Amino acid sequence: MKTSPFAILKGTAAALTLWALTATAPAARAETVRITAAYYSAATGPYFEKMASEFHKANPGIDVKVEVVNWDNLLQKLQTDISGGTNADISIIGTRWLLDFVKDGQAEPLDGYMSPAFTDRFIGAFLKPGEIGGKTYGLPIAASARAMYYNKDLLAKAGVASAPATWDEVVADAEKLKSQGIAGFGIQGKEIETDVYWYYALWTHGGDVVGSNGKAAFASPAGVKALTLYRSLIDKGLTQDGVTSYSRENLQDLFKQGRVAMMITAPFLINQIAKEAPNLNYGIAPVPKATQNATYAVTDSVVLFKNSKVKQAAWKFLDFLFTKDPRVEFTKGEGFLPTTKAEAADPYFTGNERLQTFVSLLPNAHFAPTVTGWEDTAKAVSDAVQSVYVGKAQPEPALKAAADQADQALGK
Amino acid sequence: MPWLLVLPSLVLAFAVIGYPLYEIMRLSVADVSRFGQVRGFVGWGNFSRMLADPVFVAALVRTLEWTVAVVGGTVLISMPVALVLQQDFWGRGLARTIVMLPWSVSLSMAAIVWLWSFDGNHGMVNTTLQSLGLLSGPVQWMALPQTAFPVEIAVGILVSIPFTVTIFLGGLSSIPGDIYEAAAIDGATRTQSFRLLTLPLMRGFLNIAIVLNVIYVFNSFPIIWVMTQGGPDNSTHILVTYLYELSFRLGRPGMAAAVSLAMLVIVFAFTMVYVRMQSREAA
Repeated sequence: MKTSPFAILKGTAAALTLWALTATAPAARAETVRITAAYYSAATGPYFEKMASEFHKANPGIDVKVEVVNWDNLLQKLQTDISGGTNADISIIGTRWLLDFVKDGQAEPLDGYMSPAFTDRFIGAFLKPGEIGGKTYGLPIAASARAMYYNKDLLAKAGVASAPATWDEVVADAEKLKSQGIAGFGIQGKEIETDVYWYYALWTHGGDVVGSNGKAAFASPAGVKALTLYRSLIDKGLTQDGVTSYSRENLQDLFKQGRVAMMITAPFLINQIAKEAPNLNYGIAPVPKATQNATYAVTDSVVLFKNSKVKQAAWKFLDFLFTKDPRVEFTKGEGFLPTTKAEAADPYFTGNERLQTFVSLLPNAHFAPTVTGWEDTAKAVSDAVQSVYVGKAQPEPALKAAADQADQALGK
Repeated sequence: MPWLLVLPSLVLAFAVIGYPLYEIMRLSVADVSRFGQVRGFVGWGNFSRMLADPVFVAALVRTLEWTVAVVGGTVLISMPVALVLQQDFWGRGLARTIVMLPWSVSLSMAAIVWLWSFDGNHGMVNTTLQSLGLLSGPVQWMALPQTAFPVEIAVGILVSIPFTVTIFLGGLSSIPGDIYEAAAIDGATRTQSFRLLTLPLMRGFLNIAIVLNVIYVFNSFPIIWVMTQGGPDNSTHILVTYLYELSFRLGRPGMAAAVSLAMLVIVFAFTMVYVRMQSREAA
């Protein structure tokens, strides 16, 4: 077939007219909202892509672009993006970083967008950590608490009938496990949350990380007791070998493989075990207590950046993310705790005994305080407990030195 | 005229090197927030805080140990390897390829693989040493600095060998073969001809290998960061991992800029002194 030059001309003319028409049509331009999401699991990326396309179907005028970033690099990436002015419109962040964002004026206060009905969707306690100076800057997209996982088969093998409820029982049970050649109580000694793993013992001994005066409070008698406890577990061989070479993930792997009988971590391990070690016979119990019950509760926040040019559209997407179905799908897929009332009422959560153990611990939960210098404190404490774990330092002087170091950054 | 011809590349070089340098200098004397907002001028504040930080001093000393050990080890191993690969033998092509292969793997990947190999429970190294009867039980290599840091040095040496061997092979192939024949006729032993012929003729290549390796190794981030993140208790930090932690974990870009300037000065001073020393000896 031969196309005549005339036909081509005609076609071009038609195309030009069409282009001219669309170009002069009143701005039906699609808005693009960019979101930076943290990588929680392999399900995170697909979840947000799905939400983006569902949202786009309901709001054809708004495109949502998703970018998923590893936790380890997230803060660095945001830091680089913000310095260069190329950050997304909304991002998931660790709530403990929020203060830095607010102080630099990067995060948009959300109170103006939040209707009373919207606020009422949330479980109140989870909104608190996202508030600074009476204003809400972050919405709790993910929440978790910590509890002790125990391997029922290993405990039974050592003749232990039920999960230990106190640290003394942990020691006694770990002794029995040791005689069977099993590592009793796993301790994390490396990378992110090394400090938190020790706070479990600190809090249950009645101590606290930062006092009401805003100064480091962990070098207290309770702190010394807690650290001495961990050190003695290591010295007596009641933990896994080489504590300081185990990150949180390494320790979780050890538990999945049935190589450690007890360890403390977040609810998302349930999903991992279901997938990777479905035959593991385990239970979940509260963090062992010394003088009181305690756990660590963490929220991750989603923030809206002040420099966003599409705040209304971005808010619309956030509003959508915090409706029931998207919430249930997210929380279920990642193995977190519900942050809104509607999802908490979903049969998946009300009928889930394991998750309910975590939920029941929330009244005694400690959140990371929103104070400047929290990261420095975490680092100072991690260094101190590591130096004790490897036998380089004694608990009391190590904690005292760490407290001095933390005080230089706290509240500054 | 020659200046005119090199001018474009000079301008480019100044822009590419000069702008970041200017930025780093600006940040190093400022109070900078985590997100790069300059809050004020602090003069030498960042530098004095850096010098007062015991972790900095320890990391500085450790960086020197790290550099000397890795570069020294690399050169000591690469020289015999290059001499062997220079010989003509059956399968030389294959052997050369095998020696070069680690080069094609990115440093971070290599570090991850070695981290697994040195894993306390399932690691290939523990398994091998135990089955050879050299170890009675598994060793947690990464748990303590006294084992973790030497392991990191060993990995550092291993990944630096291909590059260094390549330089040495280039050098060796530039030495004419007949001088060795002449020396042999005059009754020189193999050690003598290595010491009196090969080494002096390789001097330029040796120097280049040392200077480039020192610069690379001094600034090498991935191995230590992947394997221990400078821990436990800061005991495996070198300056560049310390700098990263300052900037991105603790949110102090200003102090990190000060550290990076200190690093720049050290590398620059080393290179100057070394080049000066060598050219004087050669003269």
